[in-house]
Amino acid sequence: MKILLDVLPVALRAMMPIILAAVGEIVSEWSGVVNIGLEGIMTLSAFIAGIGSWATGNPWIGVFAGLVTGALIGLIHGFISVRLRGNQVVSGIGINLLGMGAVGFGAWVLWGAKAPMLDQRFWIPGVFLFGVSLSPFVFITPALVALTWALLSRTALGLRIRAVGENPVAADVVGVKVEGLRLFAVVYGGALAGIAGAFLSLDWLHTVSPTLPAGRGFIALANVVFSKLNPFLALLGGFLFGYFDALAIQLASVAGFGGSVPYQFLRMIPYLVTLAVVSFAIGRARFPAALGQPYRRE
Amino acid sequence: MNNLIEARKITKVYADGTVALRNVDFSVRPGEVMGLLGENGAGKTTLTKILSGLLSPTAGTILWKGRPVRFSSPREALLAGIGMVHQHFALVGPFSGVENIALGAEGGPLLAPVQIKRIRAKVEEIMKNTGLQAPLDVPVEDLPVGVQQRIEILKVLFREVELLILDEPTAVLTPQEVDELFVVLRNLANSGKSVVFITHKLREVLAVADRITVLRRGELVGVRNAKETSVEELAQLMVGREISAVRKREAPTLGPEVLRVQDLVVPGLGGELSVRGVSFSVHAGEIFGIAGIQGNGQTELVEALVGLRPWKGCVELNGQSLAGLGPGEIAALGLAHIPEDRHGMGLILDMSVAENSIAGRLSAFRGLFGRLCWSNIFRFAQELIERFSIQARGPRTPARSLSGGNQQKLIVGRELSKSPKLLIANQPTRGLDIAATQFIRELLLRLRDEGMAILLISADLDEIFELADRVAVMYRGTFTGILPAEELDREKVGLLMGGLTLEEARG
Amino acid sequence: MRSFLETIAALLFGILIGAVIMALWGRDPWASYAALFQGAWGNARALASTLSRSLPLVLTGLTFAVGVRAGLFNIGAQGQMLVGAVTALSVGLLALPPGIHLALALAFAGIAGMIWALPVALLKLLRGVSEVISTIMLNWVAHWLTLFLVVRKLSDPVRGERTFQVPLSMRFPVIQGELTWALVISLLASLFLYWFLWHHAKGYEIRASGLNPRAAKAAGISVPRSLLWAILLGGVCAAWAGAIQVLGRFPYAITSDLANLGNLGFDGIAVALIGRNHPLGVLAGAFFFGTLATGAARMGLRGIPIDMIQIVQGVIVVSMAAPEAFRMFRLRQRKGEK
Repeated sequence: MKILLDVLPVALRAMMPIILAAVGEIVSEWSGVVNIGLEGIMTLSAFIAGIGSWATGNPWIGVFAGLVTGALIGLIHGFISVRLRGNQVVSGIGINLLGMGAVGFGAWVLWGAKAPMLDQRFWIPGVFLFGVSLSPFVFITPALVALTWALLSRTALGLRIRAVGENPVAADVVGVKVEGLRLFAVVYGGALAGIAGAFLSLDWLHTVSPTLPAGRGFIALANVVFSKLNPFLALLGGFLFGYFDALAIQLASVAGFGGSVPYQFLRMIPYLVTLAVVSFAIGRARFPAALGQPYRRE
Repeated sequence: MNNLIEARKITKVYADGTVALRNVDFSVRPGEVMGLLGENGAGKTTLTKILSGLLSPTAGTILWKGRPVRFSSPREALLAGIGMVHQHFALVGPFSGVENIALGAEGGPLLAPVQIKRIRAKVEEIMKNTGLQAPLDVPVEDLPVGVQQRIEILKVLFREVELLILDEPTAVLTPQEVDELFVVLRNLANSGKSVVFITHKLREVLAVADRITVLRRGELVGVRNAKETSVEELAQLMVGREISAVRKREAPTLGPEVLRVQDLVVPGLGGELSVRGVSFSVHAGEIFGIAGIQGNGQTELVEALVGLRPWKGCVELNGQSLAGLGPGEIAALGLAHIPEDRHGMGLILDMSVAENSIAGRLSAFRGLFGRLCWSNIFRFAQELIERFSIQARGPRTPARSLSGGNQQKLIVGRELSKSPKLLIANQPTRGLDIAATQFIRELLLRLRDEGMAILLISADLDEIFELADRVAVMYRGTFTGILPAEELDREKVGLLMGGLTLEEARG
Repeated sequence: MRSFLETIAALLFGILIGAVIMALWGRDPWASYAALFQGAWGNARALASTLSRSLPLVLTGLTFAVGVRAGLFNIGAQGQMLVGAVTALSVGLLALPPGIHLALALAFAGIAGMIWALPVALLKLLRGVSEVISTIMLNWVAHWLTLFLVVRKLSDPVRGERTFQVPLSMRFPVIQGELTWALVISLLASLFLYWFLWHHAKGYEIRASGLNPRAAKAAGISVPRSLLWAILLGGVCAAWAGAIQVLGRFPYAITSDLANLGNLGFDGIAVALIGRNHPLGVLAGAFFFGTLATGAARMGLRGIPIDMIQIVQGVIVVSMAAPEAFRMFRLRQRKGEK
């Protein structure tokens, strides 16, 4: 049916945040730190990015602001997880709560309303290719994916990051700085999630709200699982998840469909699909042995 | 002669007050192999961790090539020229051998590619010079333990260390692999490097070391030249008293067959078989020992028998097949199990002594609607504490705060309270101090005299010789031989452990 | 003792951050907090309101707490709560005598909670799916399902902004002001779970499975069954939270934007953490958050949005992630867990 193809341009947008956040988290998890606060990071950085663009008139400054926000939250999470050896899941849950609260509060303070629409001048401008306006992220995202892949598998830094997640004792003994690397990986992950958030507000949904990501941070986590920690597979997975995300939105807005199937059921599609993918993805991945475990040198 | 490394008056006190080392002096000359001898808890590992930078001493100085040094990380020690090969290898499983060696010394800035070619060339040269052979491109987790150790040694040699410290390197090697290792170590010593060889095995240290330092309970007891001392003298230094002769045992009075195992096959990791067809039986009133270096299938064998791992073949307990039964059901049939892993499988450390004492026996303390009868539980736990001399403040003490020996006694007491027909004791005295070890060994002998069937798995040959009536030697998943008591001698057992069959070992 | 002090420290830190934000924004933090506590505890009516708001939080807190004791992170209370609320409301379509009506509503709500929690358990036990992902997905599905039911099927023909109101025969009788006999449900649940975890064989098995699954298995405990119990019990508690919110508080309905059900599910997480994941501690945590919620309404009168509470919550939770607080509850990451 035609609509399945019509969805493609939207799917192209929908996949970006899921890929970006997932690829960042892939690096973090290779180093042994799990960050389930991606949703909160995306929420807050979408907000900050929106403000950044609005305040300076330059959307790219907004993106940068989002990146920095994500990196800073990543640093906090990293500090708690790595330095303080805290419980990584609880910290992530806290970040999600903080994100929601901060954005709700901030939006109220600034605009008195919860979800203002961002004026077009503050959006990320499209790139014209073959007469079609594409989001620059169509190029940025694969570049980041490739960069991350190269970092992880081709550089000494990547070797060390993977070592630290698998057997931190082995790395420590040869003088590799376990804590520093893990912090770097978490900040990297946070930065990418921050970019994902900026994309949400500046390049797609054009608004900010405490529930802007609507679970996409967790879908990104599902994408991480799907990808078996391989950035290129995350690209593929992001497309898969993003397609269904877009399909739901498109179907819901099309009058004919909106009538026969209630709008609310269509909105459920991305979550059900995610559940299905995660449940039946073939083959169990091998995750870094030290994932989620703080390192303590005796 | 100048010392390569000299440690003076090293003292180490841990945060919880344990004194691991007290005023220990230790020195090694260039080009020598120094044995560091002591039992569990003597302080050998602590001392070498200090020398290699993993720990810092509470007091004392270290002189490296005549100059005082203070290492605040293993990296610094490595840069100075001290490298340690740990008992539990510090290898990254999915990485290949050369990647493990390259880690931390990739040969360039972090964002640059790893200089694999250059590193490999250098490693191959080292392999040629020392006679150490190992495949460099296989993920190390797929390599046998002896080969992993060689990668570890290569890793350290690659960094041009002058002092190589090996922590219990022969614990996982067959006698033949041990000989190969000793040749390599001698080569290293002859080329001017020094080796510190930590062990508690008397014959080995005499075979390879030039000098031997003995530690006992954190203190230096003596330094001897290998050529001028003997096993007996070393043993006395190590243990501090005359070793009591092994208790004379009468021949066992055998009762009926309690455990029958026939053609047991147990799969292990990755589709391979850990146990490839093993058959034996254990009678009431005897201790059947399974000797062998860890890693030859013993763990999987025990897991299969207690119901934690699937298996094929025939296993009968008092005539009843154990096929398809889980741990709870098997325990109900009269099997008790002292696991080799106290903390992982034996106890729930965050629970109290009382809560641990009823693990596996909940039905005895369950009342109406499934509620637990705490007064009974506390009383039972208190009984255990008294009967087994467990040093604990009371039944409510968390299991975590007990010492290793007391934790083991708790497990033993709990298992015995099930009045089992068959007791499986897996490495029952590993890591325990002398008193606890004696206690448990005497307890096992007493139980055997009272008619219990005991299956003992131990990598400690002394323990096997002291306790077992019949001994099977396990090697790569099968029994290379089952020896009756009269035929037990170290040489035969050693050969069987190395893979020879019974006929070959008998000569 | 040390962990108790750490909890207090985290609470104070959260409050402090809230104060800093308010100060930066030009509002007097101490006056605002004074208004908060005054609004929450100042008189009998306020106290009743605080208690009333605490009740559902006790239940969603129990959901998370029981999960942690089993070694899980059950963050599905939000979805289970919604499902319970809408189910309880639906029972109002029937006409039944008073006591029975309420009991039936609770029964059905509990069953609905179990049904909603069941997939989490099945996916984890059969397919190794991480409960972190599955619960969030189900939360969102529940959100949309509840919206559908509330807007399309159960809405009040006269007052479109909410569903029909729960009939009088199904409501909890009032004790004082906003406080109803729903108090009994929360208290009983908390006491029962305390007794269950420490004085019942199944509860022992759950705790053992959470502290050391290997040892538990070796002792003959079925770890999967313990997890299942913990998840289902959590589902029932969360569902009842939704039920008592609808049956025990004004407007005795569900608003079309689900606002009166708010974030009860997520709030439960912070409540449980403050209560150190102990069924009785949850009572204290819930009371603290009930205080914040009631007081926030008062603070709102001074122009401070309710989201401030969420910020405070988030800071507290993040602070509680610090190590010694969670020696007991380590995240278990087995190979292959999704």
